[in-house]
Amino acid sequence: MDTIANDFTINIATANGTGSQSANLILLQSLFEMGVPVSGKNMFPSNISGLPTWYIVRLSDHGYQAPGNRTHIQVLVNPATWHEDLESLEPGSVVIWNENAKMEMTRDDVISYPVPMSALARKINPKIAKLVTNIIYVGVMAEILGIDQAELEAAVAKQFKGKTKAIELNVTALGLGRDYFKENLSKSDPYVVERRVNDKPQFFIEGNEAVALGCIYGGVQLLAWYPITPSSSIAEGIINYIPQLRTDEDGNTTCAVVQAEDELAAAGMILGAGWAGGRGMTATSGPGISLMQEFIGLGYFAEIPSVFWDVNRVGPSTGLPTRTQQSDITMLYEGSHGDTQHIVLIPGTIQECFEFGWRAFDYAERFQTPVFGLSDLDLGMNRWACEGFEYPDQEMDRGKVVRDRDVFEAFEDFGRYLDIDGDGIPYRTLPGSGMDPILYRGTGHNSKGAYSEKPHDYYELMQRLKRKIDGARDLLPAPILREETECEIGIVYLGSMETTIQEIDDILEATGIKVSQCRVRALPMHSEVENFIRRHEMTIVLEINRDGQLYGILRKELPNDLITKVRSVAYSDGIPPRAGIYAQLILDTLKEGEL
Amino acid sequence: MSDTPKKPARAIKLNVLNEPKDSYTGGKSSLCPGCGHDQISNVIISAAWENGIEPHRVAKMSGIGCSSKTPAYYLGQSHGFNTVHGRMPSVTTGAYTINKDLLYIGVSGDGDSASIGIGQLIHAIRRNMDMLYIVENNGVYGLTKGQYSATADIGSKKKKGAPNQTQPIDLCALAINLGCTFVARSFSGSKKQLASLIKAAMSHKGFALIDVISPCVTFNNNDESMRSYGYVKENEITLHMTDYIPHFNPVEEVEVPEGHFRDITLHDGSTIRLETISAEHDPSNAVAALAALHNAETDKKHVTGLLYFDSSKPSLAEDLGLVDIPLVDVPNEVLRPQKETLDKINAALHS
Repeated sequence: MDTIANDFTINIATANGTGSQSANLILLQSLFEMGVPVSGKNMFPSNISGLPTWYIVRLSDHGYQAPGNRTHIQVLVNPATWHEDLESLEPGSVVIWNENAKMEMTRDDVISYPVPMSALARKINPKIAKLVTNIIYVGVMAEILGIDQAELEAAVAKQFKGKTKAIELNVTALGLGRDYFKENLSKSDPYVVERRVNDKPQFFIEGNEAVALGCIYGGVQLLAWYPITPSSSIAEGIINYIPQLRTDEDGNTTCAVVQAEDELAAAGMILGAGWAGGRGMTATSGPGISLMQEFIGLGYFAEIPSVFWDVNRVGPSTGLPTRTQQSDITMLYEGSHGDTQHIVLIPGTIQECFEFGWRAFDYAERFQTPVFGLSDLDLGMNRWACEGFEYPDQEMDRGKVVRDRDVFEAFEDFGRYLDIDGDGIPYRTLPGSGMDPILYRGTGHNSKGAYSEKPHDYYELMQRLKRKIDGARDLLPAPILREETECEIGIVYLGSMETTIQEIDDILEATGIKVSQCRVRALPMHSEVENFIRRHEMTIVLEINRDGQLYGILRKELPNDLITKVRSVAYSDGIPPRAGIYAQLILDTLKEGEL
Repeated sequence: MSDTPKKPARAIKLNVLNEPKDSYTGGKSSLCPGCGHDQISNVIISAAWENGIEPHRVAKMSGIGCSSKTPAYYLGQSHGFNTVHGRMPSVTTGAYTINKDLLYIGVSGDGDSASIGIGQLIHAIRRNMDMLYIVENNGVYGLTKGQYSATADIGSKKKKGAPNQTQPIDLCALAINLGCTFVARSFSGSKKQLASLIKAAMSHKGFALIDVISPCVTFNNNDESMRSYGYVKENEITLHMTDYIPHFNPVEEVEVPEGHFRDITLHDGSTIRLETISAEHDPSNAVAALAALHNAETDKKHVTGLLYFDSSKPSLAEDLGLVDIPLVDVPNEVLRPQKETLDKINAALHS
């Protein structure tokens, strides 16, 4: 039989809270250390213990990181999803299943490897058999696929850092799994793991941790947050790094952390911080942003720097709290009542999570306005390969803050909202400075900051705000373009779709269609996006949502002659984007376009 | 040229900073003539002036409502933030983390504090944030034209509509139960008491709540109202006479006989002297304070004075473990860790 090396998808079905996450991460880490391009997606429920959870491991020498279009190897531990998981398999798939689960193998067209996982686990320690069961299947898989024992043991050591007992126990369990397969079963599937040499050493890290680290290097001074999945690990990441990076020898810190009573308060706190001249941020998800709308409008209208990270989960309402989506785009861009427009930074890679983490503060202070980071659950909570973080290549930009009286007095005329430079960005003084004391307000105001309902004052203020944010377009991160020469079709996409785009591209190319790619990295959109669309006969806007929110923004902002060139492909079912689905939708849309 | 002799210039009174009172005034009020809130604004002006506070070191915070407009009418040399309805505590908390050395004076109303913003008030108290929080409490919503608020007393009747039958929220009782470290009630018509309480609150480290009954002359100053000027004057129970002795003036000789007063030393070394009127009130006794509030409510009275005081709790700045200088003054080079630290992190992640 021919072997299939490093090109298959493993699906591991377990129950939440049984320790399967550690086992799965050990599997992922050991594959990664063998140099195999691999990605892991944790499909977990909104629950602490007992509900079904799946972990999808994709091995791909092409570097594909999306979940595959099918499962090649199924691990069955959880009786609750047993039949559903079994039935969804294609004939010839491999099934590694727990013989002690009191469930039947109902398929005779699959390669079946029954393993008494619970019984083996009980041999080690009956009290924690449930936890050990999971590491047994990793041992079995290691034997079937040829995963290096040394790498496995290193991964165990990494997972349980210094906990000798746990390390010993897990290594024993791995051995039991391996030995059981060796002694009782024989390999009849084609899947193998082959070591690869990676010229550039990489490590695995979650997007949220990268954002957290970026914020620390952005000089965050106040983290105000309210716990919400899937954003909490940004806040927890910052909290974890503060002792090492932002604390002096006396144990005092330059970054305050307040766990707020709710998202409204978190937003209020970071506006207070911005008003006082500091760098305040919060991390939340869609429901939190919904609650923060009132303050977002105040931040825009009173021109207060503030940074909001939104790790998008599936909406509307509570939605699917542990699934991924790109559905907060419009809410961020046009947040709060009245006419507003906000700066949104959209990372698509781990490095960008870090980079936009620190840049967000610079933009917020430069443009004196709320700035959003838009990540999502897939990017934020799954582990991604990273070569390392690059130190900020620019000094911190604190924006137009007048700190010295000499500077202040040199102004011919001064007003908090006076457009002195003609770029829509006024100068500000800070509380406590004694310069230009004003009462900031969310009510209408004139260029001096005084209350005003005068038509002219309101009109001019709103026009200046528009000019200010519009002026940010080409100063924000430019789109990433991958253009084929003389190519008629362009794809505009954003964020974590980056991990799927290459596979989509390859599928399309196999059908004879070449496309160019443009990844939007910020709102308002860079003029290069418009130029990209102009250069192509047709552009498809690809997003992980139902309504095509980015497409909607483009339709609103593009000149009339370009609007008809743009089509929407939007799809979302909560699972990270699978290339096959989007490629097919693109093909369908192109077909429609021909008619 | 006129022959009439020049009037001798009257010496302008200066405070301990050599500042005239004018340095503490604000813009012209747009509230209804006679509004209790304007009297409170005047007391804030006097208190800040007499306490010798640098005007630019004050931050004026407010939410939304008649009360929340008043920061425009005092301390014109201070920055301020008229935020959104009920959310002033959170904005103040954020500002405070960045500049803990300013004196935060929050002014709120009963709609702002007892309804839409009650959660934020509660949590600001819980954190013992350093601020003076004044509730200008009139029992009605003024700007929306006279609906009852959550502090309207049972049986009280505003100018229009039926008497209120819903249980009121007593913000002082709430604050005491939450462990608030300075809780007082006063009346906008009792200038002397209000002034000494506000001055004492300015000297307090921690959260100081002063609930000030401040009659609404337009919607709730009729005879059947329990928050009218007339009713409060008739039905005020004063716990004690209050005198404030600033730290820059030595404590004067005792004017009242020994045993008839209680001196409380405040964080900055100033003193508030509570002189017994009839029975002595012990402000360190939360149960006694709650009993006084409860009895007054039962008798349809308003009890005023320093209800509760506690100097033993750490304030938010201490809890946060911040560096000594306000975060706003920390230089960029300190805020952004050096490049070597990131090299180390990269190396650790690679290992």
